[in-house]
Amino acid sequence: MRIAFNLNGKNYHRDVSEEKRLLDFLREDMNMTSVKEGCGEGECGACTVIIDGKAVNSCLILAVEIDGHSVLTLEGLKNDIIQQAFIDSGAIQCGFCTPGMIMSTKALLDSVKNPTEEQIKTALEGNICRCTGYIKIIDAVKEAAKKYRGE
Amino acid sequence: MNVFRPHTLEELFRIRREVRGTLFSGGTDVQVKIRSGSLSPTALIDTKEIRTEKIVKNDGILLIRMNTTYSDMLSFDLHEFPILQKIIPTIGSTQIRNRGTPLGNVCNASPAGDFLLSCYLYDASIRLLPTERVVKVEEFIKGPGNIALEPYEVAYELQFPVMNNYLYFFEKVGKRNSMNIATVSAGILLKLERCIVKDIRIALGSVCPNVFRSTELEKKIIGSRFELPVFKEIAQEYSNAVSPISDVRATADYRRKLVRNLLIKAYFELGGENDVQGS
Repeated sequence: MRIAFNLNGKNYHRDVSEEKRLLDFLREDMNMTSVKEGCGEGECGACTVIIDGKAVNSCLILAVEIDGHSVLTLEGLKNDIIQQAFIDSGAIQCGFCTPGMIMSTKALLDSVKNPTEEQIKTALEGNICRCTGYIKIIDAVKEAAKKYRGE
Repeated sequence: MNVFRPHTLEELFRIRREVRGTLFSGGTDVQVKIRSGSLSPTALIDTKEIRTEKIVKNDGILLIRMNTTYSDMLSFDLHEFPILQKIIPTIGSTQIRNRGTPLGNVCNASPAGDFLLSCYLYDASIRLLPTERVVKVEEFIKGPGNIALEPYEVAYELQFPVMNNYLYFFEKVGKRNSMNIATVSAGILLKLERCIVKDIRIALGSVCPNVFRSTELEKKIIGSRFELPVFKEIAQEYSNAVSPISDVRATADYRRKLVRNLLIKAYFELGGENDVQGS
């Protein structure tokens, strides 16, 4: 099926197999290797991307479903505020979950300027980290929120 | 596998007539089933591109249309449906709620479906097109994964009546907060008048092949005083009436105990013996 979509600010037309998942399409056809496969069933959030402003699991979406829509991956972030906050807070160990964590954070900060800890936890509840224990990740999001607001 | 992405209802009805296929909107369940091999559709029909007004309140009835996601629900004014405000955030995760839909949850017909439980509480109806059939969700669900949808029909709308002056209780017992499939869930709507139970509805999830509701048992409570012995007795009766299974989440026996204890807990949460609570 021929699809037209916007990826990280650029418009594309591509032919894609109707069975291909968005996750595989982004990694294999579009070289967006920040998008990770963890569980493949929507539990872990490593494959999180933003479609039309909303964080979603790209393993549960077919590539054809982005026809006419905008997709944002880690590669498309215009500045590194969130990434830097994750580094500064020590919120990264193995790094496998980090792209997904950052995309969930991005979706949160684009809609809530000053999130409470509860809102941060809700925004990240679909992202599993097996190394850090989450506390530093939550610190990183608070840090990123401050920078986002220009503090 | 072919994927169809109709843009209008007319186009959807035509595809449904010609190829039948498996309908989906968010795909948060259908994709998991395809990947695990428990579902292998010859055709998938994605309804998401059909632009209908998603969620509307009309004449005291909440209409939740095709493609309304849980996130759409949470950004709608649901103050007249406080129990929905409580249930929806317990479903899946932010990513799942951004994609998954109440209508899809009903059509999935899982006994652990959290949204499905609320449909039983409200005696919600489902509207099917193009036949314009409106049936009670309770009758629409025939068994786990089995719904009364004709091959040429599509599920279009859930209808929830406003129920004013009801107290509510909802609790889902599970092992973590997000991505939590209920071990047992319980929802209650209660109307009191001077300490007398005027109306009560009790729905239980994950304790039977379908969501469990018994109007017979509810009738036994209606007219009683709102007091602990009544709830203790009814809690035991519900515990006996359900038919849970043992699975990876809990044993049948544990589930029966949960049912009893949840209903006793509900009594206190609903305001019973306020002075005793917390002492």
